Amino acid sequence: MGLLEIKNLRVCFDTIEGELEVLRGINLNIKKGEIVGLVGESGCGKTLTALSIIRLLPKTAFIKSGEIYLEGTELVKLSKREMENIRGKKIGMIFQEPSSYLNPLYTAGNQVEEAIKEDLPKIEKRKRVFEIFEEVGLNRSDYFKYPHQLSGGMQQRVMISMALINRPVLLLADEPTTALDVTTEAQIINLLRKLIEKYMLSVLFITHDISLAKSFADRIAVMYAGQIVEIGDSKEIFEDPLHPYTKGLVMCLPERYKRGERIRTIGGNVADFKNLPNGCAFHPRCPLKRKICEIEDPEEKRIGNRIVRCHEY
Amino acid sequence: MKRYILRRLIHLVPLLFGMTFISFIIIHIAPGDPLTKLKMNPEVSPETIELMKKTFGLDKPVIVQYFYWLKNILTFNLGESFTYHVPVSSLIKQRLVNTISLSIFSIFLTWIISIPLGVYAGLRDKRWQEKLLSFIAYIGISLPSFFIAMLLVFFAAKTMVLPIGGTRSLFSENLSIFARFMDYMRHLLLPGLSLTLAGIGSLYRLTKNNFLESFNSPYVVTAYAKGLPEHKILFKHVLRNAINPLITIFGYELSGILSGAALVEVITNWPGMGRLILEAVLSQDIYLVMASLLISGILLILGNLFADIMIAFADPRVRLR
Amino acid sequence: MRTFLRRLRKTNKIAYFSFWILVLLYLSAVFADLISPYPYDLQHRDYPLCPPTFLHFFDKEGKFHIRPFVYNMKLVNPSLNTYEIDYSKIYHIKFFVKGPKRKILGIIPSERYLFGVEDGGKIFLFGTDMHGRDIFSRILYGARISLSIGIVGVSISFLLGLLIGGISGYFGGKIDTFLMRVVEIIMMFPSFYLMLALRAVFPTNLSSVQVYLLIVVILSLIGWASLARIIRGMVLSLKEEEYILAAKSLGLSTPRIIIRHLIPNTFSYTITALTLSIPGYIIGESALSLLGLGIQEPYPSWGNMLSVTIGNLRILTTAPWMLIPGFFIFLTIISFNFLGDALRDILDPRKW
Repeated sequence: MGLLEIKNLRVCFDTIEGELEVLRGINLNIKKGEIVGLVGESGCGKTLTALSIIRLLPKTAFIKSGEIYLEGTELVKLSKREMENIRGKKIGMIFQEPSSYLNPLYTAGNQVEEAIKEDLPKIEKRKRVFEIFEEVGLNRSDYFKYPHQLSGGMQQRVMISMALINRPVLLLADEPTTALDVTTEAQIINLLRKLIEKYMLSVLFITHDISLAKSFADRIAVMYAGQIVEIGDSKEIFEDPLHPYTKGLVMCLPERYKRGERIRTIGGNVADFKNLPNGCAFHPRCPLKRKICEIEDPEEKRIGNRIVRCHEY
Repeated sequence: MKRYILRRLIHLVPLLFGMTFISFIIIHIAPGDPLTKLKMNPEVSPETIELMKKTFGLDKPVIVQYFYWLKNILTFNLGESFTYHVPVSSLIKQRLVNTISLSIFSIFLTWIISIPLGVYAGLRDKRWQEKLLSFIAYIGISLPSFFIAMLLVFFAAKTMVLPIGGTRSLFSENLSIFARFMDYMRHLLLPGLSLTLAGIGSLYRLTKNNFLESFNSPYVVTAYAKGLPEHKILFKHVLRNAINPLITIFGYELSGILSGAALVEVITNWPGMGRLILEAVLSQDIYLVMASLLISGILLILGNLFADIMIAFADPRVRLR
Repeated sequence: MRTFLRRLRKTNKIAYFSFWILVLLYLSAVFADLISPYPYDLQHRDYPLCPPTFLHFFDKEGKFHIRPFVYNMKLVNPSLNTYEIDYSKIYHIKFFVKGPKRKILGIIPSERYLFGVEDGGKIFLFGTDMHGRDIFSRILYGARISLSIGIVGVSISFLLGLLIGGISGYFGGKIDTFLMRVVEIIMMFPSFYLMLALRAVFPTNLSSVQVYLLIVVILSLIGWASLARIIRGMVLSLKEEEYILAAKSLGLSTPRIIIRHLIPNTFSYTITALTLSIPGYIIGESALSLLGLGIQEPYPSWGNMLSVTIGNLRILTTAPWMLIPGFFIFLTIISFNFLGDALRDILDPRKW
């Protein structure tokens, strides 16, 4: 039993035209201490997956069916109060743009301190905050600073402190470095690596940058149109992508090409949830398309330690 | 923080001078000499006219007159009122108190009613409660304040429930201080309610919009992700952030309140600054008009300053540039 | 224009409705001579403060008349101002009745009125005022003042604001600081006080035309300040926009830039701001007239028709129909508000 197990998760949006299914049968496991990268194009449902785990879906979305197990406890069935306890304590989440995700009217220290779930005297809580600040590379004086007085990197460190101060077992990271410049990104990634190792965190790392996923994550899950089309060890997936979409993504990287060669991109447009094609959602853009792809949605097949959703296999 | 206040105060000085200058200029746009009306009035003695001439230096060139005007303002020497035969400064003092109490009363009531309503509507957004409230608010915004006052006066007259006009009932001098205060408040109700009703609509709408914007902000998601209890999120994060822009608006509200109060004063017969300037205009007492104008402007500036300071307290992004 | 109306109708039914209400009001104002049953200053001496007369289709015996009719009112008690319906005679509505001579639209002399009642009958749809003048007719004529001031005032303010705000925003530097200081000083006075003070500068007994112009000028002077600020803001932000930089790098000249690029982009926002500020002017004129400082008798404006009710509780309680002009002011304002809000949504350039 892994730390996190998602079984056949289906999430829908309530629209004027009816229910729109955006997560179409997600199966994902994360072991203790493992970093799983979730990659895919914008709008394929990566963030929604994370939000479903922590149950912070937007008002118009809801979990249609499926189960999510965290350390054996099924989360979807939990009450509001119980879920509230899990958030912050067992699951921590960090977001993309720390400047928007921090409240501008309260000091950094205040916001981290209020996240502490244990009932401690104020002095104790403050001490804890100072401790974790030191761990993430912030000064004591930053406790009293307001978000707008901190740089992007520092803000993200504050977010990380908030998420990890209760020593959760699962960390959801939704594109935490996308809004940062490259140098800061590297710093934050290193920091995360350090903390993950120290606290044996399991991480769901969402990104659209596959190279980052390759260097950071142990395993990678590739998402397309609300489904996971391939999961496997990061290095292996890179060297030998099985699903045509993964192949395409991997081929998009400039580093694979010699000077002067044309970069191969994936033809077509991103899938539109309102107008999904029959059968496999990827078939309009797939070079290996066959007759069956237009009719039947492929099942998940296990090949070695890879899982692929494709009729090729 | 202190530097911020200092900066605001320094900014005020040229503003104040500009205001005295403009109010002075207006007097001299008028065709003829400012004391024309006075001179035509048989009741006014030549000595009074001479006195006025001297006080305002009317036989000197315009620039010098400006400095006379300035000096008079600073020494609170605004001459005597023609209709009441008391020093203008004491008149203004009385009226000022009444206008200020009316304004504070209605601002207080407006905020107490609008903000909870706005928050409630934000929580029930798109449902029938919000739609109904917003509709009523829309009507409130479109009704001119003077018309609301007229309607209230109509109802008060028909039902004899509230006193109309004046600040005191007859024989109130014989009552205890407390009773006199209550009497004052009873008289304040009609103009106060008119102003309040006129202001509720827009403040409600602002509150609701700010609340919704705050509620849908990313930092609220963070608060939820931390596992904070719902009530804490609402109060500490949503409300606090929603109120901030309202404080800014508060400063500009003041201008509207002073203007609205003036009209309501006239209609409900409440003796305040608004009534004063009207009387001054009707009796062509130009200097009194200008003095009232200037005082009203100063009131507004003070109100804005107060609001600026409050905003600095409330928003760290403002005070820690 | 047609697409605009279609869009308006689809997005916001209420605003569409309001648009037509405003059209109706403005048309009534223009054709007041034609529509009103009586001239605005015609006094019916026997009917001071008469309540509104209703149109009936069924008479006392239950007979149905195709032509609606009215009963006359009889003044029963002058001091208490009570009237009684006189059921003895029936006066049918007639069209194109004869009446006192006047000039339609100021040009065409005519004795004919669009509608009226048979001889001897009186039709006071909104009652009469203390001089016995038909309020319905006065509302129609009053609309001319109250509605036109909004448009004229806004236009002048707009031109002023455009000029000053544009200069200020475009040239920046010392000019900008100075102009904005002036704007700030003007805005530091509460509008009501400023309005009265400016009015006080002129004698109280000017002719109606002069008063009209005066009011427009005063309102514009007060109004341009905030418009100038808005326009300056827009110019400033647009100045920095990349496509201006692009145009400049292409070598376009300054006036070209202003006309071809700046103005069209500020257009939508400006139209909305203007529409939403018209109510302010209407209120301003009404307030002045209300206080006796605006349009003078006998010429009606919705504001001065309300002035009698101030301080006069007797009239207010016995003749509440005197408040009807206030309702029309409200109707106009709320229509402009609905329209302005809808415009703001429609003209949002991002939605195009």
